[in-house]
Amino acid sequence: MSARATAGASRRWHPLEPLARALRARVARWVRRRQGEDALPVTLARRRLYILPTRGGVAFAALTFVMLLAGLNYTNSLALFLTFLLAAFALVVMQQCHGNLLGVSVLGVSAPAVFAGRPAAVHVVLGNGAAGERLALEVALDDTPVVTGAAAAHARLRLQLPLPPQARGVVRIERLRISSAHPFGLFRAWTWVHTPLELLVYPAPAGRLPPPAQDAQRTGARPRSGTDLDEWLGLRPFRDGDSPRQVDWKAYAREAPLLVKEYQPAGSELLLFDLAQVPGAEAEARLSQLARWIVDAEAAGDRYGLTVPGTRVPPARGPEQRHRCLAALARVGFGPARGAP
Amino acid sequence: MAAPRTELPLRPLAWACAAFAGGVLLHLDRVPAWASLASFALILWRLAAARRRVWLPGALARALLALGMAAVVLARFHTLNGLTAGTTLLLLMAALKLLETRNARDELVLVGAGFFLLLAACLDRQQLVRTPLYALQAWVCCAAIGSIATPALGSRAAVRLAGRALLIAAPLAVALFLFFPRLPGAFWAIPRGGAALTGLSDAMTPGSIMQLVADYSTAFRVRFAGPRPAGAALYWRGPVLHDFDGRTWRRPAEVFRTRQRPEYLGEAVHYRVALEATRQRFWFALDLPARSPAARVFLTYDYQLLAADPVMEAVSYEAVSYLHTRALEPLNPGGRREDTALPAGANPRTLELAQRLYQRAGGDAAYVSAVLGYLRSGGFVYSLEPQPLGRDAVDELLFRTREGFCGHYASAFVTLMRAAHVPARVVTGYLGGEWNPVGEFLEVRQADAHAWAEVWLEGRGWTRVDPTAVVAPERLRRGVLDLMPQAFSASERLLYGSPWLLALMQRWDAANAWWGDHIVKFDLASQLDLLARLGVPTPEARYLGWAFMGALLAWLALIGWQMGRGARAARPDELARAYLRLCRKLARVVPARAAHQGPLEYSQVLQSARPPLREGGELLARYAQLRYGPQREAHRHAGEVSAFVRAVARLRVPPRTA
Repeated sequence: MSARATAGASRRWHPLEPLARALRARVARWVRRRQGEDALPVTLARRRLYILPTRGGVAFAALTFVMLLAGLNYTNSLALFLTFLLAAFALVVMQQCHGNLLGVSVLGVSAPAVFAGRPAAVHVVLGNGAAGERLALEVALDDTPVVTGAAAAHARLRLQLPLPPQARGVVRIERLRISSAHPFGLFRAWTWVHTPLELLVYPAPAGRLPPPAQDAQRTGARPRSGTDLDEWLGLRPFRDGDSPRQVDWKAYAREAPLLVKEYQPAGSELLLFDLAQVPGAEAEARLSQLARWIVDAEAAGDRYGLTVPGTRVPPARGPEQRHRCLAALARVGFGPARGAP
Repeated sequence: MAAPRTELPLRPLAWACAAFAGGVLLHLDRVPAWASLASFALILWRLAAARRRVWLPGALARALLALGMAAVVLARFHTLNGLTAGTTLLLLMAALKLLETRNARDELVLVGAGFFLLLAACLDRQQLVRTPLYALQAWVCCAAIGSIATPALGSRAAVRLAGRALLIAAPLAVALFLFFPRLPGAFWAIPRGGAALTGLSDAMTPGSIMQLVADYSTAFRVRFAGPRPAGAALYWRGPVLHDFDGRTWRRPAEVFRTRQRPEYLGEAVHYRVALEATRQRFWFALDLPARSPAARVFLTYDYQLLAADPVMEAVSYEAVSYLHTRALEPLNPGGRREDTALPAGANPRTLELAQRLYQRAGGDAAYVSAVLGYLRSGGFVYSLEPQPLGRDAVDELLFRTREGFCGHYASAFVTLMRAAHVPARVVTGYLGGEWNPVGEFLEVRQADAHAWAEVWLEGRGWTRVDPTAVVAPERLRRGVLDLMPQAFSASERLLYGSPWLLALMQRWDAANAWWGDHIVKFDLASQLDLLARLGVPTPEARYLGWAFMGALLAWLALIGWQMGRGARAARPDELARAYLRLCRKLARVVPARAAHQGPLEYSQVLQSARPPLREGGELLARYAQLRYGPQREAHRHAGEVSAFVRAVARLRVPPRTA
């Protein structure tokens, strides 16, 4: 299912390990079928919360049972009352633990793209709409260490799940596990949130080849007023800090949102990269070389485009263009983006 | 070689130590002092090690320590399988475990030890006065679990959390306690060792009862079914002593004799006795019990109640007695031989006195009167601080010291009887008791311990004679305290001398009696009784199961509902509801508002609609003003909110144009 290449925390080998793994996979499929895919924001409802005693809880149950035997054997009222008090306490704790997770909302899950070999992270935003504090909320992926945090009343909790450095490609994260053993740690309530998430791992920029020669054909370029030498790129939504002189006032007069006209500074170059034209035998090295060129071109303020098998990114510049190109590189060999035709 | 260890957070460790230390404190007066001291020392050691780097023993040292401690316990108790020995061992092992506490699980083990010590304390003693301690210990243990599970939790928060959970748990615990079916008997027994507690024993030296006189603890409580007999008739019969060595009276080894059946005269007295644990086999009944009150309790040939097993737990029983009896058959020769025997050569002057008095009296009954007359007029004094007596104790009492209390005079009287071949024996037990008007029961204390004599008179049978009564007639009407105020300390005199304090004391005694009758002795019979009172026509154990399950489920449903309510987000107010309605209306035309979009951001989306929803945009801006604007309070008072609600209701959203 998962294309993740990470190895989980090295567990000690156990004879029942394959069986346990098969069981876990089976449970995961059943839960996925049962809960369906989640669209954020998700508020954790009773139907999807699971709860089981922890090891400590089982030990507590054993202790209570021994107390019950002793109390019954001697018909000792105080020992029996103590037993029942502890048993009722455990039931209260079960409810409280369940309540600690019930009503938590998952507001956002994101995985910012990273370069291969750099530490990655999944960002999770949890919301607490209740009037009480929720302590010790734990979030984890299937095989990452648990990250714990507390959400104050009517507040949000932002958590970062660190991932080990990844190889170039697309890491599909199928589900997120949210759990809590608070209070008393006798029970652990948990749920899975299935928000399919893709972590794009760009190829690490590397390689010393010179960029390809500047292409002569300047597609889509036409002179435009303003500074005659600048090149008109297109319209984009207004952002704070844009000069009013660049605003497309005519369009605004037609009741369109505020748009800004973008120009290419004069003197910059147009670079068209094509995976097929990068020399070299090793595929990943060629992708790394392309990443190098794209990063450099962006830093130099050039316009650039990219062609990889199956995808063509038209020339442009700016952080979004950089991401588009690097993402196309990350997806080579991993199929199209989810949701794309 | 120091054990490698990672530093634990101090707070959970301290809580685990507190839970364990609380358990140790509960047993402070039961386990040897060195064991408690060793536990506290180990706790301090571990806490010091957590604060700064102090050497902790390695695995080998710990193993040696564990073996050493087990050996010491074994040497001290000769067993590991008794409540005290087991508790001591548990205590020491848990303290050792503390030294290798490295993670949360080790700390939980320690809290578990705290719980087990609490259980052992409950099994050991169930007095009302100790229950607050037990409750406190349970609370501390639960708070410790909370602190260990969530180390970020502050100590106060842990205490509050545990207290809250226990409070919510308490009603269910009470329901479970009432309805969980009890077993009629035990499935196994561990030896409950140790010496006898305070109380009468099967031997009496002249001074032995003295130890009881200053003991104000309860021996047993009595509730009478009918009218209460007069105070002078309240002789509570205990061990009957036959064997005499010149100084000490003893119960004979197990002998079997046929019981001399008496004729019971007068009305039977029905009553219920709640006997405290004594670790002795004696049960007590009013003189003279008519039958055995329970299985495995025998009415012996000399009419004492003797149980097959020592009384390890407080026990209560129904008894029937008659205050007056008469013999139906002559004393059998074995009994006569036993109760006229005297040690050869002991107390020669007493024997001589007996010969003289008997010759003058001429008959058994007259001889009894003569001896009593001798004691009355011979200058004898009732004293709780008599001079010590030597080997021929009776001679010294009668001819030298002439002072003593019940034990002395009973012993002397029986010796005088036997010296004249009149069968006689010493009976120990209690005399009188304090009537508690609050609880309407008679409280018999150890201080009421007494000894008297029984004489066989032809035609009447065994007849009770109390020689103390002729020496100090007040003893019958009043307690030992009134008689001998100097035997008590000043504070005790103050306590029992003040009517107000006495009333308080009686209330406390009544509370204790209620506790003993209704809580400590709550068993299957009490449960069925409860069912009957709840209106179940034919109470049976299986109805208890139903009641148990019902209480459990009802409580679970209630708590689940309650907790779910708290976890849910607060219900949106009027303004928020109108806003949500507005967004729903707008969503018919433009894309629905995303969760991250605020009202102003969403109003930008409205720009894309054709024709643009100007009115909708204004309402969104209005909402932002009412909700977040600087004058939001003023607006709210000015009825702007309801105006907004009405405006939202009036808003017409034009159908989407293609």
